[in-house]
Amino acid sequence: MIFSKYLFFILSFIAIYAALKVLISKKPMHSVLYLTLTFFAIGGHYILLNAQFLAVVHIIVYAGAIMVLFIYTVMLLNLNIQGEFPKSRLAKFASAIAGGILLFTLIAVFRSYDLKVLADPSLNQIGLVKNLGKILFQDYYLPFELSSILFLAAMVGAVMLGKKDIY
Amino acid sequence: MPNLQIIPLDYYIIFCSALFAIGVVGVLVKRNALVIFMSIELMLNSANLLLAAFSAYRNDPAGQIFVFFIMVVAAAEVAIGLALLVMIYRSTHTIDINVLNKLKW
Amino acid sequence: MKAIIALSILAVLNMFFGVRKMKKVLLPLIFIGLIITMILNISDWGKSVHYFNEMFIADNFSIAFSSVLILIGILIFMFANIYYKGVERPLEDIYALILFAIIGGIVMASFGNLILFFVGLETLSISFYVLAGSKKFDIASNEAAMKYFLTGSFATGFLLFGIALVYGVSGSFNLEAINTYILGCNGNVPMIFIAGMLLIFIGMSFKIAAVPFHFWSPDVYTGSPTLITAFMTTAGKVASIAAFYRLITIAFISLHSELTTTLTVIAVLTIIVGNLSAVYQDNLKRMFAYSGVAQSGYLLMALIVLGPKSAGILLFFVLSYVIATITAFAVLMLIREERGTFFIPAFRGLAKNNPVEAFAMAIAMMSLAGIPPLAGFMAKYNLFVLTAEGGYTWLVVVAVIGSMISIYFYFKPILASYFSEGEPQHKIESSVNFKINILVLSILMILLGFLPQVIINLL
Repeated sequence: MIFSKYLFFILSFIAIYAALKVLISKKPMHSVLYLTLTFFAIGGHYILLNAQFLAVVHIIVYAGAIMVLFIYTVMLLNLNIQGEFPKSRLAKFASAIAGGILLFTLIAVFRSYDLKVLADPSLNQIGLVKNLGKILFQDYYLPFELSSILFLAAMVGAVMLGKKDIY
Repeated sequence: MPNLQIIPLDYYIIFCSALFAIGVVGVLVKRNALVIFMSIELMLNSANLLLAAFSAYRNDPAGQIFVFFIMVVAAAEVAIGLALLVMIYRSTHTIDINVLNKLKW
Repeated sequence: MKAIIALSILAVLNMFFGVRKMKKVLLPLIFIGLIITMILNISDWGKSVHYFNEMFIADNFSIAFSSVLILIGILIFMFANIYYKGVERPLEDIYALILFAIIGGIVMASFGNLILFFVGLETLSISFYVLAGSKKFDIASNEAAMKYFLTGSFATGFLLFGIALVYGVSGSFNLEAINTYILGCNGNVPMIFIAGMLLIFIGMSFKIAAVPFHFWSPDVYTGSPTLITAFMTTAGKVASIAAFYRLITIAFISLHSELTTTLTVIAVLTIIVGNLSAVYQDNLKRMFAYSGVAQSGYLLMALIVLGPKSAGILLFFVLSYVIATITAFAVLMLIREERGTFFIPAFRGLAKNNPVEAFAMAIAMMSLAGIPPLAGFMAKYNLFVLTAEGGYTWLVVVAVIGSMISIYFYFKPILASYFSEGEPQHKIESSVNFKINILVLSILMILLGFLPQVIINLL
């Protein structure tokens, strides 16, 4: 159990470091690769939470599909050009807002009374494909069906944007 | 008692908040549309992990179902976002990303 | 529920006929389909059915707002052939995306669970992102789409993090269950829940373009194709405000007294900034974007004072806003087609050569500004009375001042078309059909002004 705690810290450190590198890197290609590293670290977190279905889907969707799309775009459009850094005032202002949000949330965490821990995540079975599938197709059937409309809209949209007509 | 040894839930909240804040900073600071887009993905991922953690600690599968739907939406959004990028590239007929760099709020 | 199924079938059929290049079939098909959808939607009135484990709640509120969304669809398709006059292609994909966006809006008006809310919101948003960029070789349209996409996804990120925090504390996505949790706290709600709720509010404020988060709306609405702008300002606003109302009245109703301060500040800022910025715009499309921001502020007022009538007044306000905005945009589209500009001088002498168009534009603008006999006035009047009865007199004062400022910029095109000096521009040819359409809409605006109680008492 101590081992999983160490694992948590290692994964979190990798994720945060890679996320920061996404912002610091000057070339978009490096950002994409660091983003992939973050996604893998988060996938590790899912395994740590015993959410096996999510871990697999996360790796397939994010590290597989989304990253390939990103890399494909960067390479297709030859966007791997050094981007410039912003004006310092804007950056300071933005960082202040974001830091404020972080601080606010953290304070909120510590001031709230203890969150209920009802189960040991390493022992429960809810994250397995069998259990999630049952619930997805019983209670959450309607959003599942509606997401097909969402995908149809995205597909029609992507095809439309890809065609060469004026409208 | 296993409860004494599991990772405290607070750790997850702090980690996800940090990741979320990094994403927000990225959106506000960067001026390259592609990197802004990646920062948005970071924000979505922090929300995902937080939902999964709550779900696992409460023994309630609804949170993990929501994460599944967020992944569905993220995939659709990426397809649309990159199609838009390609479209901008095509209409300006240049590999110069200055057009994207003009996108400031 | 029936409406969603009917609309999905309609969208798929429409794409099928489009692929077969049967251009002449498309618009009549869509009209018949939308009217059938409207009838199916209204047939559930008063039954209050709960579908799929409290996922989808078809109560009177959701049916009324769904009907408004379907009406927006009908009005937009009414003017679609004017905007896409010279286009050879069947345009089935654009029509299908408009229908998908309406489906998303209907889901947002009727959700009972945050998961369904999120899926509906994203269906609406993704269709909007693509539609905003549908004029593919126009750089303004491209930039509008990209900006809308980035800010919209940014807002989604806030919304999701907020939902995650709310879920973590309350343990459910069901709106009723969240309310039960708040009641169970006995007024001692944890800070983390409040933080999550505020993040959800930030996300929703982005979507309805309320003031600290409105910066995307002028650029996006100016850059998009005009027909799509008309659709986005109306459908987006109606769906988002309906969703916001549902969130506040079902899930967070027990915390409402603590929320009013935040909402009031946002509403006041939205009204003032929206109206003041609109004063300086010469481009009418941009002016409409800012005045749309101001209208969101008025809509938020209905969420601050929750009385028995507030849902009905919200419905009436939304209805009058939708009809007036689409009429104004229809005339604007015609003028842009002929004169190639959105600026005020294009309206010079419109009354002399095109009396019908000038009349419709004048009625629409006066309704938006809130001039007495029209629908817009009755909407604002009822809203202000509701707010004043709730004890927010100073908010009413701010809103009235905002309306007075708005008269200045809403009257600019009217003055240009009726009283401008200098030689008038040449006549614009328009079809009889178009004239009848805008006349019917103008008469509707006048009629609604005399019969507001019919709509308000529906809910």
